[in-house]
Amino acid sequence: MKSSMDTGLITNEVLFLMTKCTELFVQHLAREAYLASCAKQSNDTLKYEHLSQLVNKRKNLEFLLQIVPEKIRVHEFQEMLRLNRSNASDDDDESCTESESDDE
Amino acid sequence: MVERIEDLNLPNAVIARLIKEALPDGSNVSKEARAAIAKAASVFAIFITSSSTALAHKQNHRTITAKDILQTLNELDFESFVPSLTQDLEVYRKMVKDKKESKANNKKDASTGDAIASSSSAVVVADSEEAA
Repeated sequence: MKSSMDTGLITNEVLFLMTKCTELFVQHLAREAYLASCAKQSNDTLKYEHLSQLVNKRKNLEFLLQIVPEKIRVHEFQEMLRLNRSNASDDDDESCTESESDDE
Repeated sequence: MVERIEDLNLPNAVIARLIKEALPDGSNVSKEARAAIAKAASVFAIFITSSSTALAHKQNHRTITAKDILQTLNELDFESFVPSLTQDLEVYRKMVKDKKESKANNKKDASTGDAIASSSSAVVVADSEEAA
């Protein structure tokens, strides 16, 4: 808490509340992820994917999008890169030729 | 500021216990999922702290209060936490008050050496303070 606050002291009461609500959050995350995934299937092991799916779904968990990102396969990532590059190159064509002529 | 989020990790044993309490008996949690929850909890703590600080400043007070935290939780769509937190807070406040009172009573008892001092405690305390 101290690392993210600029000034002011932290009262015991505030500390207690922070601790308690973080505890509630852990339980909330675990329970929600479990209910959203494991309850449907007969599998009872909570996996990483269940959490990343929940984070993607819930609006109030948006702050966790970078922390618990969805995992993708390498070839999916390469496909994304390829698509990105082809989109960008349409815009860049003119500027590319210009810079080339500058270099010469 | 800390270097990485890992430096702010909460104790793993506590996280594991909380997760176990939240899920039905006999269920399992993968190591990866557990680590992700631990990380998410650390980020959550920082997120609530900074949001509460911002709220306090907006309302022109420099120190965060319990009310700021509860209000922040409401605004960030975590209102489901607020009822049980409010209850826990009351229990905590009562506990603190009781502790303070029993401490004060102990002090008075010690100064008189008498167990039934509470009725005349005010006079007795004044006396012992003068003596000191």
